[in-house]
Amino acid sequence: MVLFAIILGCLLGAIIGINAPMISYTYSSYLAIAIIAALDSVFGGIASVINKKFDMKIFISGFFGNAILAILLTVLGQKLNVDIYLAAIVVFVWRMFMNLGTIRRYYVEKWTDQLVKKKENKEESSQKQKEN
Amino acid sequence: MKKKGKLTVTITMGIACFALVMVMFMQFKIVSETDITSIETMREEELRTELANWKDKYQEANNQYEEKNQKLQEYKDKEASNAESSELIQKELDQVNVVLGKTDVEGEGITITLKDSDDVEVGKITSDNLLSIVNALKLAGAEAISINEERIINMSDIVTVNLTVIKVNQQRILSPYIIKAIGNQTYLESSLLGNGGYIDQLKKIGHDVSIEKSTKNNKIKIPKYNKEITTKYMK
Repeated sequence: MVLFAIILGCLLGAIIGINAPMISYTYSSYLAIAIIAALDSVFGGIASVINKKFDMKIFISGFFGNAILAILLTVLGQKLNVDIYLAAIVVFVWRMFMNLGTIRRYYVEKWTDQLVKKKENKEESSQKQKEN
Repeated sequence: MKKKGKLTVTITMGIACFALVMVMFMQFKIVSETDITSIETMREEELRTELANWKDKYQEANNQYEEKNQKLQEYKDKEASNAESSELIQKELDQVNVVLGKTDVEGEGITITLKDSDDVEVGKITSDNLLSIVNALKLAGAEAISINEERIINMSDIVTVNLTVIKVNQQRILSPYIIKAIGNQTYLESSLLGNGGYIDQLKKIGHDVSIEKSTKNNKIKIPKYNKEITTKYMK
């Protein structure tokens, strides 16, 4: 269900995004950092869904808050002539990998569990056959 | 409760993904469609770097231009000096030609006419007479002399052959002998006339001699030496 929603959202977003009007190149760096922040939030959200700790308020506040904070940091960095957005990118990407790690672990454990169960079922059935 | 929560999660995630992907595609479009080199889309620092680059290039080009200009100036100077020197040489050549007698010249001066006398006692004009007159003219500073249109130059000869034939520049000349000389009229005349002047002496002997001064409208014209001046032994 969640997966279906994600795919649908992606498709709709892609269609509208392609047809959206151009934004000046000047803002592209802010937009890029906002994208990274939002991507991090989405992975965090998926991870929290998997961990069953999902809270809509936290997700939405994180989604927008992180993006806005990242943009503000970039603006500040340009004013100070320091590339602060690099730090933001590092943090977001690091968190993305952590969340991905969580998601991966969940699914790998799930599949191994299923495999083990199947094997057990087979063994049980074969034992039953032998008994018979 | 659980089902409602799951629905919320689904919708929220969908919207989040929608927003994220939409912005991502917008960004993709910007990046792919933006011409990095066009000025309007550049950031300030990029523009600054570009400007600095162009300034450097401009400086370099300007330096080269100035260098080339300088070289050109040098060449022009050389050319000018060459032209000047060639002009100088040309002038010198002209001067030398005039002095040597290779050109027709004209100017103020005197014309002396001597005629052979019919009187046997007086006798004919000899080459010595002519030579003495020429010498006197030279002494008075004559710049060009001719006898019967034969230009007297430094190699000229005035001789009598067989006591009868007078030759100037190896050309036979006959009476009347017309000696033309360019120079200061007063000096020339006074060197020949006056007390003890050679013409006076000739006149006393009885020769028919006349001196005519040139006027402003009637200048003395002396032709050029019409033979080749060759040197064989002189080096």
